[in-house]
Amino acid sequence: MPHEDRETQGGRDISSLDFDINGILRLQWARGVVIDAPNAQLAMDRVNELCGGRPTPLLIDMATTESVSRAARAVFAKHCDASAIALLGSSAVDRVLANFFLGVNSAPVPTRFFTNGEEAVRWLTSQGHDGA
Amino acid sequence: MTGRDDDRRLEELVDGIVVLSSGDLSNRLPVSPARDGIDAVTTGINLLAEELQSMYEDLEVRVAERTALLEAAKAELRRVINTDELTGLASRSLLQEKVAEAVAGAGTGRQPALILMDLDSFRLINDSLGHAAGDAVLRETALRLSAAAGPGHLIARLSGDEFAVLVADQDTESVLQTAARLGESLKDRIVAGGVAVALTAGTGVRLGEPGLRSEELIRDADIAMHEAKKRGRDTLLVFSAAMHEAAKQRVHQVAELRTALATDQLELEYQPIMDLRTGAIAGTEALIRWRHPALGLLGPDTFLDAADEAGLTVEIGHWVLRNAIAQTGRWKSGPGLPADFSTHINLSPADLHHVDLAPYVEGLLAQHGVEPRHISIEITETAIMRGGPEVAATMQSLNDLGVRIEIDDFGTGYSSISYLRTLPAAQAKIDKSLLDGLTTDRQQETFVAAILQLIHSAGLGAVAEGIEDREQANRLRQLNCEFGQGYFFSRPLPVADMTDLLADRDGAVA
Repeated sequence: MPHEDRETQGGRDISSLDFDINGILRLQWARGVVIDAPNAQLAMDRVNELCGGRPTPLLIDMATTESVSRAARAVFAKHCDASAIALLGSSAVDRVLANFFLGVNSAPVPTRFFTNGEEAVRWLTSQGHDGA
Repeated sequence: MTGRDDDRRLEELVDGIVVLSSGDLSNRLPVSPARDGIDAVTTGINLLAEELQSMYEDLEVRVAERTALLEAAKAELRRVINTDELTGLASRSLLQEKVAEAVAGAGTGRQPALILMDLDSFRLINDSLGHAAGDAVLRETALRLSAAAGPGHLIARLSGDEFAVLVADQDTESVLQTAARLGESLKDRIVAGGVAVALTAGTGVRLGEPGLRSEELIRDADIAMHEAKKRGRDTLLVFSAAMHEAAKQRVHQVAELRTALATDQLELEYQPIMDLRTGAIAGTEALIRWRHPALGLLGPDTFLDAADEAGLTVEIGHWVLRNAIAQTGRWKSGPGLPADFSTHINLSPADLHHVDLAPYVEGLLAQHGVEPRHISIEITETAIMRGGPEVAATMQSLNDLGVRIEIDDFGTGYSSISYLRTLPAAQAKIDKSLLDGLTTDRQQETFVAAILQLIHSAGLGAVAEGIEDREQANRLRQLNCEFGQGYFFSRPLPVADMTDLLADRDGAVA
């Protein structure tokens, strides 16, 4: 069934999706993943599922993503349960990808790009949330 | 990574950019696992290309949508242009297109024919029953013509009450039968505005000929139809070359008449009107003449029909008013006007339909210092009877100004006698045909006496025209006709002679 195919595909694309000790939801993409609209939507659905309707800070580790399609960026630009999003990358490629998203699409919640995980967590914490 | 490697990657990057710049925006450049600066630039270029590609695609979709809308609007516009909205028949422009196609398609074979029809007295229906009833009649006419023509012919409404049928691939006899059938189809009464009306039409037929151009086919059918209209109701005429000659002459005369108006070839003569009781001069009738450069002095009967066809009637009417009132003003300054003198000016039905006629006359009177009582406007009985509310309103406005109204050609139309009492008229002019036998035929004298009595009992004064001898003048005086004009007193005079007559007004004219 198509739904199951998507599940399988999404399962492979997302390396991990869990809350850390700070109550921040961390999404780690699989290495070399090409993010397009379907797997972007699946990730968003998973995030919303875990948040259960509660505004939650979200940290997306995109250091290993190959590319993000235009359609996928449009999915991320939709409102979700995330109260703030930190995009964590390490390379110049990540910076370009992240800033393209930030520049072209208007994010629905406060969104910033970081190359340092601790800074990202500090920023997310400072954005204020009710703690998951 | 070595510098050589970087050089190679940069070269690949340049190659990729070249492909993109050639217009292939689907091309994406490979990003290496290094994710270094070159990869960042490559990623940026990929993202920009994707953005650009997406914008182009959006634009193409939008262009396609707009083009479809434009096509739909064009199709709708064509439908509107090609269709007569009221009846659903073809429009004039579609008829012209189809006539051209039919003529071109016929080659040397059987030629298309064109039938043009103009409903008789349709304006009366509109005026008396209202436009909604008029529209209903036109729609019914369209249905009947379509049924009578049968399938395979294009039927169009050209304007107001004018229809056309393009008959393709029929011999002469069949075309004429079709034309007759179209006319017959209208004669069953149509109920409109609660009244049953029977229609007839003037019909012109142009049979096709090899080599005849489409515009000639239309023009000739039109000439034949206008000729049919002139001959009276319910007339069908087939175009002949003689009609074309006559039409050409009229066109020529109209062109000459326009020149005449522009170059002062028109002039007025003045025929004195006498007070039969005193023998004094009571007024004068301004009569238009055309001093034609080749044909000499022409009377109005030779050119007013052409003027009417050319739509020059109102312009000529205004010319007459302007000149006659100006002349009256000059006479007033010298040699002076008798107290009850009035200049009589003839106006056509077309003049009277102009709502601004009264203000125009008022302006002329003020400009030339002429008192309104010195001007009489002559309107024929027929124009009054057929004129409807607009003419009645104009007559009332002129009367309110103090200008006298005179019913011209009285006794030649079919006036409602009760109507005579309600008109804002001061005088009625009895037609010269009524004077025939006045002095020799006892019965005619009694008849004229009765007419004069009728005029008087409606509170109007009477003017007799066409008085040719003393006996007629005496008899009319005995019958209490107040005024008279005719060759017995004076022919129409040039301005100078009329001026002399006014200067020497103590001397009797006849």
